[in-house]
Amino acid sequence: MENKFKFLTKHSLKKKIKNKWFLIANVIVALITIAFVNIDSIVTMFGGDFNKPLKINVVDNTGYYENVKTGLKGVESYLGTSKLKISKIDDIKKAKKKLKGTDDILLVINPDTNNIYNIEFITDAYVDTVKYQAIITSLNTTKQGIALDLSGIDKEKLNQISSSVEVKRTFINEEKTEDEENTRTLLSVSSLIIALPCFMLIMYLVQMIGAEINEEKSTRGMEIIIGNVSPKTHFFSKILSSNLFVLIQGGLILLYSAVGLIIRKFTTDPSHQGMKAIKEAAATLDLSGVLEMIEKSGILNKLGYIIPLIIILLLLSFLAYSLLAGVLASMTTNMENYQQLQTPLMIISLAGFYLIIISAMFPGALFVKIASVIPLMSISLAPSLLLSGEIGVGLIIVAILLLMLLNFILIKFGLKIYKVGILNYSESDLWKKMFRAVKEK
Amino acid sequence: MLKIKNVTKYYGTFKAVDNLSFTVDKGEIFGLLGVNGAGKTTTFRMIMNLINPSEGSITFNGKKIDYDVTDNIGFLTEERSLLTKLTVKEQILYYGALKSLDEETILKRLDRLLKKFGIEEYKDRKINTLSKGNQQKVQFISAIINEPKLLILDEPFSGLDPINIELFKSVILELKEKGTSIIFSSHRMDHVELFCEKLVILVKGKSVLEGYLKDIKKDYKIKKIKIEGDVKITELRKIDGVINAIKTASGYEVNIKDESYVNNVFEYLKTKKNITKFVLEEPFLEEIFVSKVGEAYGK
Repeated sequence: MENKFKFLTKHSLKKKIKNKWFLIANVIVALITIAFVNIDSIVTMFGGDFNKPLKINVVDNTGYYENVKTGLKGVESYLGTSKLKISKIDDIKKAKKKLKGTDDILLVINPDTNNIYNIEFITDAYVDTVKYQAIITSLNTTKQGIALDLSGIDKEKLNQISSSVEVKRTFINEEKTEDEENTRTLLSVSSLIIALPCFMLIMYLVQMIGAEINEEKSTRGMEIIIGNVSPKTHFFSKILSSNLFVLIQGGLILLYSAVGLIIRKFTTDPSHQGMKAIKEAAATLDLSGVLEMIEKSGILNKLGYIIPLIIILLLLSFLAYSLLAGVLASMTTNMENYQQLQTPLMIISLAGFYLIIISAMFPGALFVKIASVIPLMSISLAPSLLLSGEIGVGLIIVAILLLMLLNFILIKFGLKIYKVGILNYSESDLWKKMFRAVKEK
Repeated sequence: MLKIKNVTKYYGTFKAVDNLSFTVDKGEIFGLLGVNGAGKTTTFRMIMNLINPSEGSITFNGKKIDYDVTDNIGFLTEERSLLTKLTVKEQILYYGALKSLDEETILKRLDRLLKKFGIEEYKDRKINTLSKGNQQKVQFISAIINEPKLLILDEPFSGLDPINIELFKSVILELKEKGTSIIFSSHRMDHVELFCEKLVILVKGKSVLEGYLKDIKKDYKIKKIKIEGDVKITELRKIDGVINAIKTASGYEVNIKDESYVNNVFEYLKTKKNITKFVLEEPFLEEIFVSKVGEAYGK
């Protein structure tokens, strides 16, 4: 029987991998993953408005041009442009004429006895709110600076007023550091990126088990198979092969990501010329800087136990999903029915993702914490919440224990349903048959 | 030897098989007959260990049927049991491996059987591209790839043309000669008559007739007389002991209550001219089947 189990597992895995669709799907997944890792470079390569320099022409009737220019340079990063050009123009008529058909901005600074200066903001096109607000904020700040300057306050006082407040971040718990705080925020965001492929793999898993069981059930082939191996052997061979497949697929996605990172490193390498725009864009996510930050934060020591816990949670969640999918597939008589029956599973998984997005709006929400230990949802919520410090290791262990309990129940009772379900070809009295199967000793 | 002893199977409160007993010896072909829903498939499923009997026991060569025993059993289901997306070779390798056979043995036997059934060229073709008849051949090959000691054939000739039926018959008889015990189920009584030495007729899960075919025929009192000549059907029907008389393409068929009434018919024919044929025949199995099933249903 052990040999038959090995054979069935190998056969099922081979069938999934030695398949042209597996190859085609992986070529597509590889391209998308590599593109995703290099998305900023790709977007930059295609160009767009963000690539054009933003021209701000200033007609100065006050003599504060240099102050305004410095102020505007200070908000350059909020203007959504790769380059900011600020020029002084004397002739307002000419300046207005030049504006036509462009996205340029013309600022006319006029003297104002009550308010230092007032501004006329002239454009030909609409300006987005963020850009508009950034310029107005800069003009306000510049005006306040000029006002303070004119008030006759000595330089020392002026520096005190204009300089930023120094903030010292302190934790009651001495083990906590600011670096770790920043890193946790970064990791919780990146865990969301990891969670998405996990969701995809769960979908794969649930679909695959259903399709395979239904294929064998669609003919009397199941009778021949179950006549030669026990339903238990058959069930676990499907579970094992599907989980192995998903792990292989997950490994391949990691490999594609690594290839993407290598490509990214190549495109951002300073020794390669002629890719200036790509390099500039890619530099917005400095990976070596991120790694340095993680290392400095000291979180690497904690990742030593956080990662194994997350992996255990992931494997147990995959097992739970596959056991449930197997049991549900055995109860259905065709793929259409299975598609309907598996929908709640997908919704549970999706609910976890929605909750993790909502959790950012309600920090410390008890509801989210409770949901993070609920089996099937915990895989979407718990890793991100753990990395952001919303929940501790204790709750992860609770989530793992609950998953183990669910898996035990699914094996104990699900297998009884499976034994009856796989040889059932009729939909009449289905639930009655299944309940009877569960009650059987 | 397959031994079914006092087997009963309930599905909830419904009794699908009722106290059924029979044995199939080595090299014997046994007919399991019945109308749809009579309990044949449930019996096959119990023999294949797919479901457990509620009462009674099933043994093969004295051993309760388990997964070691089913390695020696071949099962041809009435409905298709092939995984149609596989090729013929993949399919047979799959089912063969489930019978604990190694790949080399399976491929060797497969080549031999494909040749025997005249479908060598389909070895690497997907099953869903084959005709119904060729699919049935592949299904039959998958059932005998393990050279079974017990072979269950549920409607084996389904979808076959007369030439292929002859081919199947010869293979089945060959297997019998080699000592394979065969359980045979078919709605075609002429096929059952041709193969089966022993049979059981099931009605609502209960055996209504069982035993050796020759004894069954002998014990069945109603006999058939075939006549060719100038007779009148109305007169035939009036003879004492005649149950029914019908006109056929070549003459007349007369059913009599039992053999003792032959003389009455013979005496009547003596009064007629141009009688070219007068034969007393054993009844066909189909007639016995219809009669027994009809009795059970109160018709």
